[in-house]
Amino acid sequence: MATDTDRANPGGESGFGRVSRIRGRLFESLTLGASVFGIAALGVLLAYVFWDAFGLDAAEPVWYAVFAGLTVLPAVGFVWYARRAPAVGETSLELVSTLLAGVLGGFGAVAVLEVIAGDEVWFAYCCTVVAPLVGLYVYGRLDQTATWVGLGYLTTLVAGPVVGTLLLGPLRTVAALLGAPLVYLVTLVVPTAVAVRYVVGDRLALGNGNYAAAGLLAVAVLGVPVVDRVGVSRSVWLLFLVALAPTGVVVWKNAADGRWAGLLGPVGVVGGLAATVAVTDLVGIAGPEPWFDWQYVTTAPSQTAAEAGLYPAIIGSVFVIVLVAIITLVVAIGAAVYLEEYAPTGGVAGGFARLIRINISNLAGVPSVVYGLLGLGVFANLANLGVGTVITAAFTLSLLILPIVIISAREAIQSVPDSLRQASYGMGATRWQTVRRVVLPQALPGTLTGTILALGRAIGETAPLIMIGVATTAFSPPSGLFSRTSAMPMQVFVWSSYPSEAFQHGVVAAGVVTLLIVLLTMNSIAILVRNKFERETH
Amino acid sequence: MSRDTTRTTESSTDSRTNATGASTDTVDPSTDTDQLVDTDPGGGGLSERDTRTAESAEPVVTARDLSVYYGDTRALDDVSIQIPANRVTAMIGPSGCGKSTFLRSINRMNDLVDIARVDGELYFQDTDIYADSVDPVALRRRIGMVFQHPNPFPKSIYDNVAYGLRIQGRTDDLDAAVEESLRKAALWDEVNDRLDETATGLSGGQQQRLCIARAIAVDPEVILMDEPASALDPVATSKIEDLIDELAESYTVVIVTHNMQQAARISDRTAVFLTGGELVEYDRTEKIFENPESQRVEDYITGKFG
Repeated sequence: MATDTDRANPGGESGFGRVSRIRGRLFESLTLGASVFGIAALGVLLAYVFWDAFGLDAAEPVWYAVFAGLTVLPAVGFVWYARRAPAVGETSLELVSTLLAGVLGGFGAVAVLEVIAGDEVWFAYCCTVVAPLVGLYVYGRLDQTATWVGLGYLTTLVAGPVVGTLLLGPLRTVAALLGAPLVYLVTLVVPTAVAVRYVVGDRLALGNGNYAAAGLLAVAVLGVPVVDRVGVSRSVWLLFLVALAPTGVVVWKNAADGRWAGLLGPVGVVGGLAATVAVTDLVGIAGPEPWFDWQYVTTAPSQTAAEAGLYPAIIGSVFVIVLVAIITLVVAIGAAVYLEEYAPTGGVAGGFARLIRINISNLAGVPSVVYGLLGLGVFANLANLGVGTVITAAFTLSLLILPIVIISAREAIQSVPDSLRQASYGMGATRWQTVRRVVLPQALPGTLTGTILALGRAIGETAPLIMIGVATTAFSPPSGLFSRTSAMPMQVFVWSSYPSEAFQHGVVAAGVVTLLIVLLTMNSIAILVRNKFERETH
Repeated sequence: MSRDTTRTTESSTDSRTNATGASTDTVDPSTDTDQLVDTDPGGGGLSERDTRTAESAEPVVTARDLSVYYGDTRALDDVSIQIPANRVTAMIGPSGCGKSTFLRSINRMNDLVDIARVDGELYFQDTDIYADSVDPVALRRRIGMVFQHPNPFPKSIYDNVAYGLRIQGRTDDLDAAVEESLRKAALWDEVNDRLDETATGLSGGQQQRLCIARAIAVDPEVILMDEPASALDPVATSKIEDLIDELAESYTVVIVTHNMQQAARISDRTAVFLTGGELVEYDRTEKIFENPESQRVEDYITGKFG
């Protein structure tokens, strides 16, 4: 005993002296220093960009005082309060995420349905693909014995687009007769009302679902005169209404739970900003002169900095990223499920699967410009999809992020406990049933989070887009899959080489802010998805 | 119910099953007489379970010289055993002795391990389990399994019990089937008001009974249990043991356990596996625990090793 103590603490006389912690303390301060440095560097960059993008140097000091009093102070107070009441913070995070997701979804819907595809094409494919799928889903939920439903999905997915293309002419005529707002009312607002009725009435049991659905339809119709006066098109109004319906449900849910306090944060910030603008306008204090404003996101690029806008590039980027999301999710989940659940582990085939696994990890580190070269060679030239078109860009960017998404999907599948697979196989489930009913539902949140984060990387990529010949400047948004497009980072890049001070320090910064807003929105959606599923499964 | 009938015929000496009227069959006296000779003479005075300890029940699972290899390691060494219907058969032995391997070879769960290889014969009733014509998925639908750690799916209680029925497409009157299974697993009274809640919120013992309910929902003929109570506290263990006793009325139960007292309490027959995957002794439970033939088994049971 005595020798043991002596050996552990050679200097101590009683054996209870101090044990050296110098290395531990040093390591702790090094890690702290590293993280502070990282955050500070990022903070300086963001402050610089935001300073330029919002033209903050134009504002008088008094304006800052008003801003601090009306917006910053209440926001800081709320954050301080939310720290002490976690439920409040959770509520406001949920509200902000749904709101951001709704706004981004609204922009995405407007970009894809209204600007690119057009309501008539949407109507045609909605009738032949979307409507049958939804019908099958509802029928499958009501009648659990209908085993043919799964086959029905497959048939619809294969045959629907073909039928839609064949019937495009007649269906377009019908859609033209209905008119765009009516098409959206029938195909989107009414189904949303049905979904709201189910969520409010049955799923969350908040109250009468019928009233909620009727309320949504009433808002849709009653909002029409208002948006007409403001000058927003009726279609855009309906699309945004649909995208923002979940936010309304979230507000209702938290209000019903008596968690009003959580709603105060987001409302307070928006209200504070509005109050700041109103007060400074009334008193006549010079505020900031932002480059990033409504004109910037709704007009085409221009030679003069004051008239320059990012609209075509925003639409192009959003369109590309929507396609990338679809392609990546399908391919990545397929590859990950095969590699984790189906691929043999022994023999020649097992060695081949191992080779694929290793190389997917290697591909994740390949420079993006190489993917650009691949996209130019394979998609643009060999497959003849066209140089700089939306579809070429979508495929190239999908290839770029596929390895990352496959790895995150594989990790999500690996994290499903093996005991659950054993339980399923022990019940006499086939491999497909086990994958479909046990593994995929468990792995989906992790996969979705990984995918959204990877999409954030894809939307900011520039090098592969240069390689496949995406236009640096486009004056109109893309009109279809095979139309040439521009993208936000490309436009920002080309503006940065303009000699004018206004471009260098205003327009470029505003472009960066636009990109960052889209990115942060996507990341907050990823957080929302993860939180939501984690709460459901634990 | 037609399968219940066959099952009772196979074990026609099971006086209790017939006495409780669980079966629609009547005992054939002529076959019954000479089988009764084998019955434990002291059975009348003992507890209900002990009357079940008849020697003569038809074998449901029969192994002849069964060996299982993982790669080059032999996990099971020429095991020959006959497991009777509607009885509780316990497998005991020290860790790594092959008892779980034997259990997993009965419902071909070892197929999921790529390096596992099986030699010898293993019959379920009259079917060769490892014949090419036997689909392991179909086999597992008739031989259910309960695992060491409770492993309910992170779904609702209802969905857990309904899982097996749904994957088999037997969805008529799902509610009734779920209720019946939960009642059989002695869980209905505790969960009937929260069937929609997630199963992971139940206590460990409740989760394990839920797993048993999930296994019996599809009405298998044999239930394999791999140390079902080893992760549970004594109260939950006692509930599981009572449940196993009841299950033996209508199912053949094969249970692997580390706990010798548990084997003595609940099983009708006991198989002792010792190191190297060797089945050393297999007999009536009383015989194994009171007067084993092998010295090694006696040493193991009296705690000299293992």
